[in-house]
Amino acid sequence: MTTYIIRRLLLLPLIILGVTLIVFSMSQLLGPLKLLSTYVDPNTYAKMSERDIQILMKQYGLTDPFPVRYGKWVKNLLKGDLGWSVVGKEPVLDALIHRFPYTIELALYALFPIIGVGIWLGVTAAVHHNSFIDQFIRIFALIGWSLPDFVWAILVLLIFYIGLGWFPPGNLSIWANQIVKSASFKNYTHLLTIDALLNGRIDIFWDALRHIIGPVIAISWLWWANLLRITRSSMLEVLRKDYVRTARSKGLPEKVVINKHARKNALIPVVTTAGQMVIGLLTGVVIVEMVFVRTGLGSFAATAAQQLDYASIMGVLLFTSLLLIIGNLIIDISYAIIDPRIRLG
Amino acid sequence: MKKFVFILLVGLLSVFAFSQVKNPDMIFDATLSEPDTLDPHHAYDTASGEVIFNVYDNLIAYDGGSMTDFIPMLSTVVPSVENGYLRDDGTTYVFPIRKGVKFHNGNDLTPEDVEYTFERGILYDPAAGPMWMLIEPIFGAFTVRDLVEEYVGASWDKIFDSKMNPTSKEYETALVNFYYDVIDPAIEVVGDEVHIHLVRPYAPFLNIICNGGGWGAIIDKEYSIQIGLWDGKAEGWWKYHGWTKEQSPLFDHAMGTGPYKLVEWDHAQQRIVLERFDGYWKGPAAIKTVVIQGIDEWSTRRAMLEKGDADIIAAPVQYLDVLKSMQGVTVIEGLPTVQITSLGFNWEIKPESPYIGSGQLDGNGIPTDFFEDENVRLGFAYAFDYEGMIDEILNGLGIHVPTALPEGFLGFDASLPKYTLDLEKAENYFRRAYRGRLWQQGFKMDVLYNIGNEERRVAAEILRDNLAKINPKFQVEVRGVQWPTYLDARENMILPVYIIGWLADFPDPHNFIFTYYHSQGDYGHYYGTKFVEFATLPRPEFGGKSLNKMIEDASLETDPYKREQMYVDIQKFVIDYALTLPLYQPLAIRVHRDWLKGYVYNPIWPGDYYYLYSK
Repeated sequence: MTTYIIRRLLLLPLIILGVTLIVFSMSQLLGPLKLLSTYVDPNTYAKMSERDIQILMKQYGLTDPFPVRYGKWVKNLLKGDLGWSVVGKEPVLDALIHRFPYTIELALYALFPIIGVGIWLGVTAAVHHNSFIDQFIRIFALIGWSLPDFVWAILVLLIFYIGLGWFPPGNLSIWANQIVKSASFKNYTHLLTIDALLNGRIDIFWDALRHIIGPVIAISWLWWANLLRITRSSMLEVLRKDYVRTARSKGLPEKVVINKHARKNALIPVVTTAGQMVIGLLTGVVIVEMVFVRTGLGSFAATAAQQLDYASIMGVLLFTSLLLIIGNLIIDISYAIIDPRIRLG
Repeated sequence: MKKFVFILLVGLLSVFAFSQVKNPDMIFDATLSEPDTLDPHHAYDTASGEVIFNVYDNLIAYDGGSMTDFIPMLSTVVPSVENGYLRDDGTTYVFPIRKGVKFHNGNDLTPEDVEYTFERGILYDPAAGPMWMLIEPIFGAFTVRDLVEEYVGASWDKIFDSKMNPTSKEYETALVNFYYDVIDPAIEVVGDEVHIHLVRPYAPFLNIICNGGGWGAIIDKEYSIQIGLWDGKAEGWWKYHGWTKEQSPLFDHAMGTGPYKLVEWDHAQQRIVLERFDGYWKGPAAIKTVVIQGIDEWSTRRAMLEKGDADIIAAPVQYLDVLKSMQGVTVIEGLPTVQITSLGFNWEIKPESPYIGSGQLDGNGIPTDFFEDENVRLGFAYAFDYEGMIDEILNGLGIHVPTALPEGFLGFDASLPKYTLDLEKAENYFRRAYRGRLWQQGFKMDVLYNIGNEERRVAAEILRDNLAKINPKFQVEVRGVQWPTYLDARENMILPVYIIGWLADFPDPHNFIFTYYHSQGDYGHYYGTKFVEFATLPRPEFGGKSLNKMIEDASLETDPYKREQMYVDIQKFVIDYALTLPLYQPLAIRVHRDWLKGYVYNPIWPGDYYYLYSK
């Protein structure tokens, strides 16, 4: 197991380098003029003189040959400089650091309801196969699965913000934001709810919580649908296995059969899906972030891609590659823990 | 689909909606974008301009919504020949500087701050920045690089190495002398006054320094030097020249004398927070806090408006009906803008263009000089449905204008002939083109638009359909490309025609007439060298002057009546020759909560002036 982990970790830089090389090459196919347009406001770009264009291309190093530019990018990367983020209006590394806490916090709050409720619904549906409960849960999943995320997100916003006034968009209210930005408020983790508690500000904790529940609801239903479908089908498959039949024929109570014999074995595909969900949540949830004005990684990446801000795209890519590789490694290790028959190495 | 679902959901849930005055001491402006930079000498976009407008003051300002009447601001006088503050045949502007004005850090405003401001801006002169507007009237050139090259007698690349160090001691001395001989004498402090000397009379000058969105804003010399801007010395001024916007220390800092102080620019949340400056020389603003936040999602902006959390929102015109049905919301339609959307012709398309088919007049393409023929241009002019475009596509939010000069500008004359949809007339012109060969052979070409701009797509399709009605052999393919691709194609002179907008830098006819119709104008120079020949040819319509010369002379004329007539003459000429097709002048909408009082609209302002507001 240890050898396997070390080997995977050693491969990490190579994989990342490969990925960045591919994306960097793709972005360079756009040509220097298109890349230059990223740095200039569209109205201004239309007004630029040929001389302006030449000066800016030189300033942003867009006239250098591809290998030179990639070399510079890698060299700067090793110094911790990921370039300037045009969409973020700050260095890429700062942009990632400033946005990631919003994403982490949302992921943390969304993760437990998604996984807990998703698995519970899936197991319940499988146990009550073809019953009313099963049909109800399946319809519930079907709606969640087929509803476009922007519709559901807007619906949540309308019901819980306009209708009930409970969960407003944004990260914090303006008054709370002013306190958080003041010198007296210590940012220990940059996670608003946790920092609020550590600073003893229940009012800010409550305000931050109000702002996060809306997007959590919006994300949860969409992802429950996915998770419960996987859990249900996996559980149904396991319930038909011989060892489950054996357990039942031994006269074990149904609760023990389900919880001890069936559910654990049904969790392997669920772990894969749940792991991917965690990675998905950490790399950003574009639509929900945009509708609820939570400026996390998802909306940042989407805007960077729209505006061809290749420095930001490369930064996000690097970051998400790291998350993906480490996340997949954790998923693989989890397999071994859940099912001892699986051996890594 | 998205729009439909949203409207449906709003309808269903509108019963829940209620509104009450919220946050009486704060204005929340939910907008579309965040500033590009807060450096007044680099900012060239409206999002940046709006912040600068509220944080800084200019020497003079527009009187409310007027684009022609000025009022004193940091200068106690608006210079004019009559009051004696415009001297030397219109080449010296004298600004007596107001006393008792403080910057947000408590520093007093002095004439030296004003002198420093303009000199710093001119020496900084970043590429693609706005400083050409001041350099042109003061020095008669467009960039400080041009001035330096002329003064030193060598090219920029020869004067400086790659790290912006002079390549010789001789050049270094010349650069220092350049400041003393050229820059310093142009802007002088004389007692409590600042004198700005122009190279020649220039009618739009007051409009330029009046612009609140950047280049006319007065900065604090002491603070600026402290944070790393130009140190005010002749020696080494070039080290502060041409930084990229993110290199400027004023990128996200601001220290003005304006009614609001910059408290925070939160890049992650795309949020600017301004706070009332209690020491403002005109008295403090009514509203304590202003929050300007970029919120990309329309549904969210709209929900925040309905809930009362946003006082002002940026709204797309297609949702006008939804907004008008909302209670507690003011919607103002038909606000004139200072922009024109036009169709320009390329008189000299590069042969390698992929958009001209065979490149021959053989029915499968167009020749590279296709639009040099005025009959072709006039044929196109009468093949477009201007009124239909405005009524059907823009929901009436547009003005049919005769030329690329917006309504409201000096020289605008609604009685000038306008092109209208007249297929018969268009046919006559097309039959005359190429001695009838065009009519027999037909043509094939592509018209491009930038993806996402639906108005431009529809405009291209209207043109395509009408041309096909005139003659089925007239084939136009409408193709969408990304905005940078579109501009690249224009830059490389491979677009046969291009639909593009122009937003005014300052409200003077020169900013449009020069741009569109002078062969060195921002758009005029994309018409090709054949247009240069056309524009420099002496014309009987102008008493023997060329079109270029006539445009240049109009910008120098200080008598407004004579000037107006010159612009009318120029417009008659460009209409006769169909130099561009002015498709429409867009009209804007404004949406805010009823409880917001004091709103004033000035089309040239970069955004809201919150000092005027109360709740």
